[in-house]
Amino acid sequence: MKSYHDIVGDGGSRVLEQVAAQRASITDGLAGVRHLVAVGSGKGGVGKSTLTLHLAGALRARGLRVAILDADFNGPTQARMAGVQGALLVPGRTKVALPRTRNGIAVFSMGSLVPESHALEFESTAHGESHTWRATREFALLSEILRACDWGSLDVLLFDLPPGAERTVQYADFLGPRTAFLLVTIPSDVARGVVARSVAALSAGPNRLLGYVENMSGYYCRGCDTVKPLFTSTAAVDLGLPCLGTVPFDPELARHCDEGTPLETLHDTPAGQALAQIAQRLIDDLDARQELDR
Amino acid sequence: MKFLCVPCDSPMKLQSLGPPERGSLAVVYACPECGYEMAMLTNAYETQVVQSLGVRIGPDRAGADGAPAGQGSASADAAAAGGKCPFAAMIPGAQDGGLHLPTPVRWTAAAEARLANIPEFVRPMARTGIEKFAQERGAFEVDETLLDAARDFFGM
Repeated sequence: MKSYHDIVGDGGSRVLEQVAAQRASITDGLAGVRHLVAVGSGKGGVGKSTLTLHLAGALRARGLRVAILDADFNGPTQARMAGVQGALLVPGRTKVALPRTRNGIAVFSMGSLVPESHALEFESTAHGESHTWRATREFALLSEILRACDWGSLDVLLFDLPPGAERTVQYADFLGPRTAFLLVTIPSDVARGVVARSVAALSAGPNRLLGYVENMSGYYCRGCDTVKPLFTSTAAVDLGLPCLGTVPFDPELARHCDEGTPLETLHDTPAGQALAQIAQRLIDDLDARQELDR
Repeated sequence: MKFLCVPCDSPMKLQSLGPPERGSLAVVYACPECGYEMAMLTNAYETQVVQSLGVRIGPDRAGADGAPAGQGSASADAAAAGGKCPFAAMIPGAQDGGLHLPTPVRWTAAAEARLANIPEFVRPMARTGIEKFAQERGAFEVDETLLDAARDFFGM
């Protein structure tokens, strides 16, 4: 009797063929993007989304073409922070044209589609059993977004990942080896411990780990123009990655995020200067690696 | 998943797909050698797993009979779950399941075709927004020029 592997084709269901076609379509759609960078952590609440947005701003300030895909479908924040909450997704010639921030960063976020008063829900035949299929459905949604949006020619596409060490690795699997990872932590041993688990999990795969950024590294007091300690970390957990920079917490920066207004004067602050340096280091690293790969 | 006709030792071929019924699909396979037919009846969880992959079971009917891909009997698309847009209940303007309310704004065939190119979950919001954009500019027709103007205004 024939075994599964003796039989060529799938008898007409075309399921595998369609999954392969989806992957090919994603590859085609991202062909004009020079660098794919996923901003993750594993730990929640460390400022991944804020850092993603401001890093995008710092890259944009260098004249680079930048887009953000808010891949945190269940807690999307980029639409609000980038000021594109009410923006329209317009049908282009063949794909969806993305809304842009005032400084020209293209942003896709489910927050532009689903009001904050609603949870993201999928219609399902399997009522009450979402743990069996939900992750698959979310990655199918990510696939559809990647295929549907007009990414055009970009220097950097930043993926703002959801929290969870296991989710971080799932995104690495899905996005493939072209995507490099930038991890975010805060100066807390608890946070670094979780990020270390993400590093361990990602290190088993082919994705390149660019390094990490220590966010909320002190508190910037505008009154006395100094950065004061915010955490008392011993930094006992070694992440084994280069630190691309440290960014102090700046209440003014947080206010701009809540209001979705651009940061016109960010470059004058310690946080702005740190972000500018991280952006430069990041793009230098990405370009150098691309040159080596040629 | 593949099916083998044991007496003939021959792979069975998909023949037809019945309309979804209460979350279940009926997929009929037949043996090309002896003609024996069998139906695979999925439970709701199995249907949902296939649906979650964002694929449709069976041949792409586009081009075969002019119907868009996934329509007709050979489809395991969102209709299996009883709806088209997965976020219909959450997206403003889509509470009617994707159907838009009549407005004085007409869509040209070319503009409709462009709208059809974008994912279903974006369409209701895009349609409503474009019509509002048109009306704000005193336009009564959405054509490709207006779509390009909206694209320039909002996006890329």
